[in-house]
Amino acid sequence: MKAMFDKLKQNVLYKKWFKDALPYITGAVLLSVFQVVTFVTSGNPWGVSGVFANWGAWLYELVGGSVDNMYYFSSPGAQATLDAGILAHAGTWRNFGIIIGALFASLMASGFKFKKIKSVKQVVAAVIGGLLMGYGARIAFGCNIGALFSGISSLSVSGWLYAVFIFIGAIVGSKLLKKFFM
Amino acid sequence: MAKEVELDCMGEACPVPLIKTEKKLEELDAGDMLIVQVDHSCAMKNVPEWARKQGHNVEIEEVDDGEWEIFIEKV
Repeated sequence: MKAMFDKLKQNVLYKKWFKDALPYITGAVLLSVFQVVTFVTSGNPWGVSGVFANWGAWLYELVGGSVDNMYYFSSPGAQATLDAGILAHAGTWRNFGIIIGALFASLMASGFKFKKIKSVKQVVAAVIGGLLMGYGARIAFGCNIGALFSGISSLSVSGWLYAVFIFIGAIVGSKLLKKFFM
Repeated sequence: MAKEVELDCMGEACPVPLIKTEKKLEELDAGDMLIVQVDHSCAMKNVPEWARKQGHNVEIEEVDDGEWEIFIEKV
C-alpha cells in the first residue's frame, strides 16, 4: 500500500496538480468561475465573514443568550436566517466546504502539520488581530472576500475603495508586527 | 572559514520568516550558509524567491510533511 503511494507521489501529473502550487493565474480563474457558480446557485455573492456573525449568534443562543435586541440581527431577513438554524444556512455549508477543501489540498500535497504555539506574544498578536479583523469585517459589511473580491467583481466602486484601505492597513499592521510582536 | 547558521522559523506566519531571513543574512559573510527552517508553505515560496533575486544560491529541502529547510548560500 505504501509502495503504491510512494510511486504515485513520483507521478508527473500528480506533482503538477496536487503537490506543487498551481500558478496564480490558474487560481484566479478557478476562483472567478466558482464565485459565479455560488452567486447563481445561492443568489448571494461569495462572502465569508457574515457567516461568522451568525455562528456567533447561534453559539450565544446555545448558552442561553439572545441576539434579538441587537440592531444587526433585527431585520426580518436576519431573523428568518437565525430561526432556520445553522444546518439550513447556505453560507455555513460553503465555509465548511472551504475548510474541508483546504484540508484535502494540504493532505494531498503531504503538507499537513499541526503547528505549535511559539510564545505568549504570538497568542496575544493572534487574538488582537483576529478581533480587529472580525470587527472590521462586520462594520465594512464584508471582508477581503465579500467586500473586496465580490465587491470588485460586482463592478462596485466600494470594492476598489476597500482595496486601497486594506493595503494601507496591511502596511500599518506590518510595521506594528515588526516593532512589537517579532 | 565559511560557517553554517540555522534560523528556526517554525510556527511563524508570513511575513516573519522573510523579515528574519533578511536580517540574519545581513550579519553573515559571503560564502556562509543560512539554513532557514519553515513550516509555512507561503514562506517556502517567498523566502527563496527573495534570496534568488538578491543573487544568492538557494536550495529547498522538504524534511517532513509541511516542513522545509531553505539553504541560502550568501554570495
